[in-house]
Amino acid sequence: MSVPAKILKQVLSRYSSPMTLKYPSGVDPSKKYSQIPEGLRGVPERDAEKCVGCRACFMVCSGRATRIIDLGDKRTVSIFLFRCTYCAHCQESCPEEALKMTSKFEFTIGEREDKGAYVDTDLEMLRCKSCNTAFLPKKMEKRVFERLQEKMNPLVKEVVLSDYKKLEGYCPECRRARSTNFDTHTKKWLWLEVK
Amino acid sequence: MGIIDRARVYSPWLYHLHCGGCNGCDIETLAALAPRFDAERFGIQLVASPRHADILVTTGCVPKQFIPMVKRVYEQVPEPKVVVAIGGCACGGSLFYEEEPENYAILGSPDLMIPVDVYVPGCAPKPEQIINGIVQGILKLAAKGSSRKRREV
Repeated sequence: MSVPAKILKQVLSRYSSPMTLKYPSGVDPSKKYSQIPEGLRGVPERDAEKCVGCRACFMVCSGRATRIIDLGDKRTVSIFLFRCTYCAHCQESCPEEALKMTSKFEFTIGEREDKGAYVDTDLEMLRCKSCNTAFLPKKMEKRVFERLQEKMNPLVKEVVLSDYKKLEGYCPECRRARSTNFDTHTKKWLWLEVK
Repeated sequence: MGIIDRARVYSPWLYHLHCGGCNGCDIETLAALAPRFDAERFGIQLVASPRHADILVTTGCVPKQFIPMVKRVYEQVPEPKVVVAIGGCACGGSLFYEEEPENYAILGSPDLMIPVDVYVPGCAPKPEQIINGIVQGILKLAAKGSSRKRREV
């Protein structure tokens, strides 16, 4: 709608009488929820295929509705909708664009434990080769490697990638223990300078 | 089902209890009762005393000072009664409630001390959603049945 038409509509609405909205249809009787404005933020929805479980939504959640539950081989990323304020911070921060706010606003729930009150995604976890603790979702490990390759400086690419193969599948603690074997370890460069 | 119980379903009276929080849900609740959204088509009427009410509508999280008042108001509503919690604070505590460390002033959602029948989450819920929640409450009120049966203690 153009601006003059909008102004005209506003002026004309002054002369119209107050009205009661019909319940599901609103102003326009042929359409459902026609009184709802565009871009209304409602219940968040997560694309289970895109989500990698990187905890970014958990870090920014203002109502502390998002929770990360790690149980052995499974990581559950869940939003408790009773506490959600629809602020869309999780949508902004998501690096994989898995979260999206829908315009679904109308829902009521009878019990706290109802499944409809949670937006859950289950992810498989990766276990460390040496100490056997679950430390990272499998999807995230794969995606981080892809991103690393995209943004890496071509000068150091070969060295870093050969190192990456050595540390693949180890948890951060075990990596630190084995870090002296890496070509990128500072010890080696120091040794060169001494020579 | 007697004539009184049948009449109750068609004209449930509503008592609005504001426990705490930001007042946003109260504004939306009053908008839902006003003529534009017209909750009176379901026979709903806002009453000034909990002794006259069938449905107790709570909004906001409960501060620790307010605990005895919430319990007292709930006990004053005659049987059968339905409690509808409106807004994120009344459903799960939302922004004001913390598990660790515990908030010194705020207990959390009212369902920690009184039984809540219908939850209407949202921050704040739209008037349509509130009407939807109250209608769900009326259905539960019809299922609860007669006032003559006393709850076994």
